Amino acid sequence: MIVCAAVIGQANNPLYLETFQQGSSDDALRFHYIVHCSLDAVEEKLALPRKSPGEPSDAYLGLLYPTEDYKVFGYVTNTRVKFILVVDEPVPKDEEMRMIFKRFHAAYVDAVCNPFYSVNTPLTSSSFDASVRTIIMTL
Amino acid sequence: METINAEIFTLTYGSMVRQLIADLEDISAVNKQLDEMGYNIGIRLIDEFLAKSKTGKCGDFRETVDRVAKVGFRMFLNTTAAVTNWNAEGTECSLILEDNPLTDFVELPEGCQNLVYCNVLCGVIRGALEQVSINTECSFVRDVLRGSDVSELRLKLLSLNKEEYPFKDDD
Repeated sequence: MIVCAAVIGQANNPLYLETFQQGSSDDALRFHYIVHCSLDAVEEKLALPRKSPGEPSDAYLGLLYPTEDYKVFGYVTNTRVKFILVVDEPVPKDEEMRMIFKRFHAAYVDAVCNPFYSVNTPLTSSSFDASVRTIIMTL
Repeated sequence: METINAEIFTLTYGSMVRQLIADLEDISAVNKQLDEMGYNIGIRLIDEFLAKSKTGKCGDFRETVDRVAKVGFRMFLNTTAAVTNWNAEGTECSLILEDNPLTDFVELPEGCQNLVYCNVLCGVIRGALEQVSINTECSFVRDVLRGSDVSELRLKLLSLNKEEYPFKDDD
């Protein structure tokens, strides 16, 4: 079950963060903190040298780090925009996570194609919000 | 017929509208400019349309509008418009557009709620029909970007110009 989805920009600025839990509003702050900490793990994974010169680096970063009751998964695009998903039990399989991230990426691309959206500004598009909610719900 | 990627077309149009807003800052001026641009496109597009579609003369306004909606929209935007809501005299009608390649991915921001994003289409229709001596007025009554589920263009026939020959008969 995904409890939080976040999009972080190139300068590590938060562009979008939504929680999908029945908790209270200060949970959002906790998730901000968790996502922020996970950015360190992302940087670490990105700093790893490639295995061989010709191999493309994988967009899906996998499990970034486990916290008390959550696991954090990451995905980075070629433009250094990061998608972070915080999940709790039951944890979806790797394949499923990849698929979710792909759909998340597609929703992000649709939002970016809006001529009125400037890159690296907070994502306020309601259709992006709606697509993210659909992706989360179809888990 | 040569084809280009539809997304390039959508993104180009979007970036152009955005630039117009940045340059002119007044939304109604942008609307007017889009209409002017559409008009300039329309007066040139009509020849292309007539040449490529090999249509003959249309009998009356109804047939003309039908041709525009079915053949014209399909040829240039790869979508068809439905023609409905004819008024009693047959001089006004509505063109319903379900999907419009110009507005893929677009969401109007807060400050631009009065923007008629596809006003260029109104200008194109007006310009094209004017070249075949049909004076019309075209405007959007419903817009997908402002919450409706379809876009509706209201097309009004103003007058038909008689064909005037520039030379005198008795020369």
